[in-house]
Amino acid sequence: MNAIEVENLCQHYNGRTIYDDLNLTVAEGTICGLLGKNGQGKTTLVNILMGFLKPSGGRCLVLGEDSHDLSPAVRKRIGLLHEGHLAYEFMTIAQTEKFYRGCYPAWEREIFFDLVDKMGLSHSHKVGNMSCGQRSQVVLGVIMAQNPDLLILDDYSMGLDAGYRRLFLDVLHGFAALGGKTIFVTSHIIQDLEQLVDTMIFIDKGEIMQIGLEDFMGSFHKYCFTNGQGILNLEKDEVITGWEQRGELISLYSFATEDDVIRHLDSLGIHPKEIERVEMSLEDGFIGLMGKY
Amino acid sequence: MFVSILLKEWLKLRWFFFASLVLNFAVCIKIFFDIRQRMHTEHAEMVWYQAIHIHAVLYQDIRFLPLLAGLVLAVAQFVPEMLGRRFRLSLHLPMGRDGMLSLCLLGGVSLYLLIAMVDLASIYWMLSYYFPVEVAGSSLSTMAPWLFAGLIAYFGGVTVLLETSWPRRAFLLLIFAVLLSILFQGVGYGWFTPSLGWLAALLPLAMLCVFESGRRFQQGGTR
Repeated sequence: MNAIEVENLCQHYNGRTIYDDLNLTVAEGTICGLLGKNGQGKTTLVNILMGFLKPSGGRCLVLGEDSHDLSPAVRKRIGLLHEGHLAYEFMTIAQTEKFYRGCYPAWEREIFFDLVDKMGLSHSHKVGNMSCGQRSQVVLGVIMAQNPDLLILDDYSMGLDAGYRRLFLDVLHGFAALGGKTIFVTSHIIQDLEQLVDTMIFIDKGEIMQIGLEDFMGSFHKYCFTNGQGILNLEKDEVITGWEQRGELISLYSFATEDDVIRHLDSLGIHPKEIERVEMSLEDGFIGLMGKY
Repeated sequence: MFVSILLKEWLKLRWFFFASLVLNFAVCIKIFFDIRQRMHTEHAEMVWYQAIHIHAVLYQDIRFLPLLAGLVLAVAQFVPEMLGRRFRLSLHLPMGRDGMLSLCLLGGVSLYLLIAMVDLASIYWMLSYYFPVEVAGSSLSTMAPWLFAGLIAYFGGVTVLLETSWPRRAFLLLIFAVLLSILFQGVGYGWFTPSLGWLAALLPLAMLCVFESGRRFQQGGTR
């Protein structure tokens, strides 16, 4: 069973095509990260999934219902974090808790206060007077206390320092460990996602690549070498997925094996010195696959 | 859920509501003192002549206050929701969009009606203090278009704030401005009384505009 199903999704905005025939699925019980450079439509996709944008074409199912027509019963099962940790800034912590408690019959008060009390703020503290990190804790508390089946987090790490980001990850890991929970997350901090997701969707110019984290890290490689010929001018092709140069050191990214890469470089007239496959972080892999710009 | 939504609306509106209430009540007191002063400085017959024969409306000062109250309540209630498109938080609540929006409107309209009641009751009481009950009674129909204007201003304000497209906003603003200007065209007592029934029919229409803007907001301003 899929928590999210996107079929033939098309989206146009001001004459510009954001997606054309986008297809993806997120299975129940998985943690899926949506990765893409700025402006590739990650937030647009989240907005479509949550019914805040009607797609130009195609279909999005969330927990089995059309995303632009989600019933209250299904919305109750979805915890949604908006980009920028949106919250009611005119409310205090206590008022926020009281408000949401009345909206969600299965509200777990202790979970909310366990998370919020970590900040040591008075319950009469106004959300509008909080730092971004503090506000994120309140929002996280609100979402967790709902005990949803599906979490959709749109750039949860925006504006958060390392401590708050780590706290977020801890909570999300705990949530996932409950079993049967699905998390769909976008973030600019790729190294955080490496610790969290089991499936990734790369989105670039309306095209997507969906792959398991282990499969990706096992099949995509980073090779480093020097060539003593100054600045290289490589082009992407069927072997070279991406590359970057820092001084003499060239990092090349490819799904191909080391031997295939050496042969391919030879065919291009490049004779790498001391080429070796090095350990690759997910952020390296992201840059190697999507490029910097 | 019902109580939670009303709590949220109350938290946004309370200080603006009290400020509007105090302003309206203060103007009512000013009107009372003005009438009293005229009774003392001019002959009572002269004031009677002005009020009954010339149809001088002695409570003109309150004319635009309901309109102002309606606009203030709309702004206080929906600007915080529009900043950062926070209204999406409300739309994600486990409740139908129109039901949720109805509760928001219920909160705003209830507080507006309290202000309107204070205006009506104050003016009626002070007129009945100095004039026969017929004169006091005529204030109800005379003030009715002004009070309707406050409600339409409230619905119009909410509609315009919820709308996501600027050209549509400008168009809606124009429509509501024309509608409101009609309600302030007349002079004298009860000038709008024959049309009050039609005026009442405008209110549900104005309210429907809010729901259409709400639908458009949820769908990102598309279609």
